[in-house]
Amino acid sequence: MSVKRYSSMEYDNFEDLLFGHSKYPVKTGLDLEIGAGYTTAEVNYAPRPDAAENKAKLVNEYERITRDIMERMVQVGFPSVVLETEHVQQMTHNPEWGADIATAQKAIMEEYHDEYGIKCALRHTVGDVRGDRESIDLRGDAYSRILESFEQVASSGADMLSIESLGGKEVFDHSILRNDMRGVIFSVGILGALDVEYIWKDICSIAKKNKVVPAGDTACAQANTAMFVAGGLLDFKLSHSVASVVRAISASRSLAAYEAGAIGPGKDCGYENNIIKAITGYPISQEGKGSTCAHSDLMGNMAMQCCDLWSNESVEYRGDFGGTTVQCWGETLSYDCSMMNTALEAGVGKTLRDVLMVSDRYRDPQAFILSYDNAYRIGEIITAHPDDLYLRGKEAGIKACELIESGSEGFLALSKFEKATIKKAQNDLKSLDEDMESFICNCLDTYSSEVETFNASNYGL
Amino acid sequence: MIDINPKNILIRYNILVESDMTPEEVAEQLFPTDPHIRRVAKSVFEGDEDEVVAGLQKTIDSGVDPLSLINNALMAGMEVVSTLYDYGLLYLPDVIISAQAMIEGIEYCKEQSKQVHESKGKIISYVVEGDIHDIGKTIVTVLLRANGYDVIDLGKDVPVEEVVAAAKREKPIMLSGTALMTTTMHAFKDVNSRLLASDINVPVVCGGGAVTQDFISDYDLGVYCEEAADVPKIADSILHGLNIRKLRDTFHKH
Repeated sequence: MSVKRYSSMEYDNFEDLLFGHSKYPVKTGLDLEIGAGYTTAEVNYAPRPDAAENKAKLVNEYERITRDIMERMVQVGFPSVVLETEHVQQMTHNPEWGADIATAQKAIMEEYHDEYGIKCALRHTVGDVRGDRESIDLRGDAYSRILESFEQVASSGADMLSIESLGGKEVFDHSILRNDMRGVIFSVGILGALDVEYIWKDICSIAKKNKVVPAGDTACAQANTAMFVAGGLLDFKLSHSVASVVRAISASRSLAAYEAGAIGPGKDCGYENNIIKAITGYPISQEGKGSTCAHSDLMGNMAMQCCDLWSNESVEYRGDFGGTTVQCWGETLSYDCSMMNTALEAGVGKTLRDVLMVSDRYRDPQAFILSYDNAYRIGEIITAHPDDLYLRGKEAGIKACELIESGSEGFLALSKFEKATIKKAQNDLKSLDEDMESFICNCLDTYSSEVETFNASNYGL
Repeated sequence: MIDINPKNILIRYNILVESDMTPEEVAEQLFPTDPHIRRVAKSVFEGDEDEVVAGLQKTIDSGVDPLSLINNALMAGMEVVSTLYDYGLLYLPDVIISAQAMIEGIEYCKEQSKQVHESKGKIISYVVEGDIHDIGKTIVTVLLRANGYDVIDLGKDVPVEEVVAAAKREKPIMLSGTALMTTTMHAFKDVNSRLLASDINVPVVCGGGAVTQDFISDYDLGVYCEEAADVPKIADSILHGLNIRKLRDTFHKH
């Protein structure tokens, strides 16, 4: 498949970005249309730890999960739902396990669709199992197993295909702990994007053959790592401003999946999806206040601003007072969607969008740069450099620095340490090489010697 | 697009509580007073490896025992870094850069001395079997080394057998394990059982991603750790004689 580089924004204006609406809605599953004027909950779950002992036990676990969710949706009267099965390692290593689980889940969803007419779809997110103890081998046997897993779930009932790819993580982990912006640009903007492009050409072929939806990647292994290490307002593990810059750069990485043919909805943990939606016009899934079962972030309301699917990230399946965890979180998400859909029906969607966005806009630099207007501005910078992975990552980072600095002159209060780190990041980015060739050449020298697991051939370099 | 003044909807507590002084100003008050030692400690704080070695050389040339400089200069500089990190005046990358400079300095001091330097204690660090996410383990390992511990880093995706064999061989004061996913963290249970079967009763400090205090509390040797910065404090507490029950009383937060 050929790669189409985005050289302009599919949205003409950031004011047009809105939850439940995307320029190019995606039809999938059982009568579901994503981004076509309404939002839908996307429930994400993990099996209990001992459920993965064998295939039969794991299939049974996912059957219970699926039935619990579907039952709760119809009990409380929600019109649509998406289920996301993120593979545990055993499923990807044994592609037939994933296939059997997809088959079992889809059968239950079809029962509920037939009986109640509930619109629903099944996303399978295959595990990226290309790393092991000693090394990372992005293009060897494990890659073939990943593709086989995609093939099997696509032909067995999954409606949407996703992955959270690892490319660039080895250099990223090394760099982010040293405030090394050069390594961040190299790992996320170059290595990550090359890997995403490589893997998504194949995923899109599999999706096309099986008539399912190639739904997108995220920079979870990089940008979310930075966000989680940064932590809350009283944590000092990593500058939140630096984490914000990583997020902006990560959009150029996640975009590569769409350039290889993905059409969304981009996965929930890709907080950079606001930028992706503005660039591509494709729907997105997002997580925020409904994902506190999995982690804390600083944009619980704002993440909802432009979502098409609204996710809980992941919750371990077990009992809770209100039912099983997937029922409780599925219900919470669906009530949120009811609220958004009511606003759309009443014609006040943009007002609610703004309330959601502004309530978190000044909570943290990460929220500030992902506010839909600023997300759009970062998208403009990325599309201004369509054929240069280096420049679009670097310029996205510089733009994020500029936005944060200008925000800090207004209501975006920054500690003096955040101010110092954003200034340093900006200077570091501006002092990098002029062109991609020399940048890559220098980085290959540096990280080949500094990062034990970095192997340039993984990226075709 | 609407916009508002956010003063009534959020409070930036981090800005409210931040010190008037810069980290450098606070550090200046904490460095040792002896000018040679101060130079080394300050260069550790600044993460300047070349300057650390130059400062050490100058001090050794003046007749000071190289090994004494590990505790008196290098660790003293690192203690300033740790103190400022605990105060929230430095970030983790600052600590890591300083720790690298300190470790470089320790190696130099060892090379310059014929005697053996005793660390505070030996600790085994690993990521559980089936898990390749090792950024948490990297952070913990650096923080432990920065606090004077000898860390045997077994790496990521470490089989249970290997963890237990290392514990038998190295006789550590504790183990530190990390896991990101619920599906891999059960390896803690196997390590716990195998250590007990071998009569090895050292604390196994566990943390990361989906790991919870309740989960770890089920294992006899388990001590849950939510924050990487607490791991050296747990190690120090073990040296001060705290057993697993007391460690849980002190470090289990929920």
